[in-house]
Amino acid sequence: MFNNLIFIILFMLGFYALVIKTNLIKNVIGLNLMEAAVFFWVISFSDIGGKVSIHKLGEEVTKFNDPVPQALTLTGIVIGASTAALLLTLIIELNKFSGTIDRDQLEGLND
Amino acid sequence: MSWMNIELILLIALPALTAVIMYFSKYFKQRLRNFFAITGAGIELYLIFSLFVVNYEAVKKSDFFLQYTIGYQNTPFVINFAMDNLSLLFSLIVTGAVFLIVIFSTQYIRDKEHRYFALFFLVLAAIQGSILTADLFTLYLFIETITIFTTPLISFKKTEETTRAAMQYLFYGITGGIFFFISMILIYFKLGTLKMAAVAESFSLISAPMQLTIIIFFLLALIIKLGIFPIHFWLPRAHSACPAPISALLSGVLLKVYLYIFMRLFWTMISFDFLVNLHLNAFVLDLALVSSLIGHIFALQADNLKKMLAYSSIGHIGMILAVLMLNTEAAFYGGLLHIIAHLLMKSGLFLSSGYLLQRTLSHHIDDLKGIGHKNRLVFIAFITICLGTIGMPPLIGFVSKWYVLLAFLKARHFFGAFVVGAGSIIALIYYLRYISQAYETVKSESLSLKEEFFSLREIFNSTNIMKTVIYIFTLLVIFFGLSYQLFELPVNTAIFELLNPQKYIELVLGG
Repeated sequence: MFNNLIFIILFMLGFYALVIKTNLIKNVIGLNLMEAAVFFWVISFSDIGGKVSIHKLGEEVTKFNDPVPQALTLTGIVIGASTAALLLTLIIELNKFSGTIDRDQLEGLND
Repeated sequence: MSWMNIELILLIALPALTAVIMYFSKYFKQRLRNFFAITGAGIELYLIFSLFVVNYEAVKKSDFFLQYTIGYQNTPFVINFAMDNLSLLFSLIVTGAVFLIVIFSTQYIRDKEHRYFALFFLVLAAIQGSILTADLFTLYLFIETITIFTTPLISFKKTEETTRAAMQYLFYGITGGIFFFISMILIYFKLGTLKMAAVAESFSLISAPMQLTIIIFFLLALIIKLGIFPIHFWLPRAHSACPAPISALLSGVLLKVYLYIFMRLFWTMISFDFLVNLHLNAFVLDLALVSSLIGHIFALQADNLKKMLAYSSIGHIGMILAVLMLNTEAAFYGGLLHIIAHLLMKSGLFLSSGYLLQRTLSHHIDDLKGIGHKNRLVFIAFITICLGTIGMPPLIGFVSKWYVLLAFLKARHFFGAFVVGAGSIIALIYYLRYISQAYETVKSESLSLKEEFFSLREIFNSTNIMKTVIYIFTLLVIFFGLSYQLFELPVNTAIFELLNPQKYIELVLGG
């Protein structure tokens, strides 16, 4: 399935950026890419080619898309946005203290 | 059937409301702010305790059940809160500990208290929500809420170390959240419902490979959140960077909440037989035991008091998870008792470490020099709780460890029994290292008369609520150690819920 393939590629790209890259901002981008991959996958799976589930009272609708995955995804996007904002705030703070946003250079400092 | 128990919503809404009040408390005087904070936590404790007392007969007969539903019953997606004996037990112990931690922090936190308490009560609301919720999506929301709101609390002191710890915590927490989301959405696509009870009824309809995928993603998410061995790096850093009350909240309370979620998922929702069929239970058991051993060994080399306590937490949580995976009645008894014991002891230890080293920024072992002479009674309390963690007989740590050991021996799992014993011995070594350091005599510089007068006045000025809280924790450790039978009723009814998930499922669906 085509959407499965895109999901795997996007997710792995995100995972790569999260784990391998040492730039913290790239890590945040990777995390968001992983989230975006999951959301894309959910939406593409729930789309069965039907109508939107909002319709007039008298109207006869035989086939409509499930609204629940869309609602879940919307909430997930909100959470993703807030965590990205929080992470970027922390990176700005860290940059003030240490003058770098590279993970490897941070690792050498203490611990 | 009673399905409109508004108390459950109150339990979540009350801390959230307190958080709003606390945020605007920067315009209040300090005394009024402390009053609101303690009252908020106190009313919460009163509510949950009165639920226990009013429904005592029902709890005794194990048919205690409260439920609240928002939305229509038969739609697939409905927000549903439910409370059975297991949730009651966890809600009770968590709220009790949080109440004491709030009292401690009214004196410990000295700047930006309004932000601190607002975030603290939001975390409490999210904790209560994740304990009471009965559907997967709300559970996901509350878990993410906990992660997001604890992050600013970890970096509350704003140094480089705390910022890094908070960032690492958030990275790992969100990755765990993504895994949880994947698993949840797979369940929705396969079964078309998110209610835990409905999932439990029809989980066997899913094909075996898909079951394996779902279970593995849930396990990954929870292993990250619990800090089990391969992914435990974030835990000691995060738990040692934050202010002492937050360390107590994270290490003492929050890890137990994740253990509760673990039980909810793998005993009520996905029945434990699926784990056994897929041969995952033995794997998780061994992983948890290795994690326990590694946590204790790493605690040996930690030169930082709070880091040592955090590593010891990894050891204890690994042990509890391992004993729960045995899936016998004795194992549940030992595990739940040790959850209560560890909650009391670790909160007490973190709070007293915060009190003992409140003047120094670092918590290095050298800072402890001579501290046993300066604050005698508090340090004796610290030693008492340490002995409880090791497993000295009259204290509660001994009772719980004894039952855990018995459970391992009954199941003929000797590696587990070895880890319990070895953990105690290693713990003795690393606690002794710190205790001997604290009683080292230091050459005291003779204070001038003026300075001495100054320090005396400081002692009399402070009312020392912090000390009182530490003594309360110590006395609770001693008292519950002597009369652990008090927990017999709540723990046994909680075990009943774990062994008979059918009751929960029927009541939620029948509501």
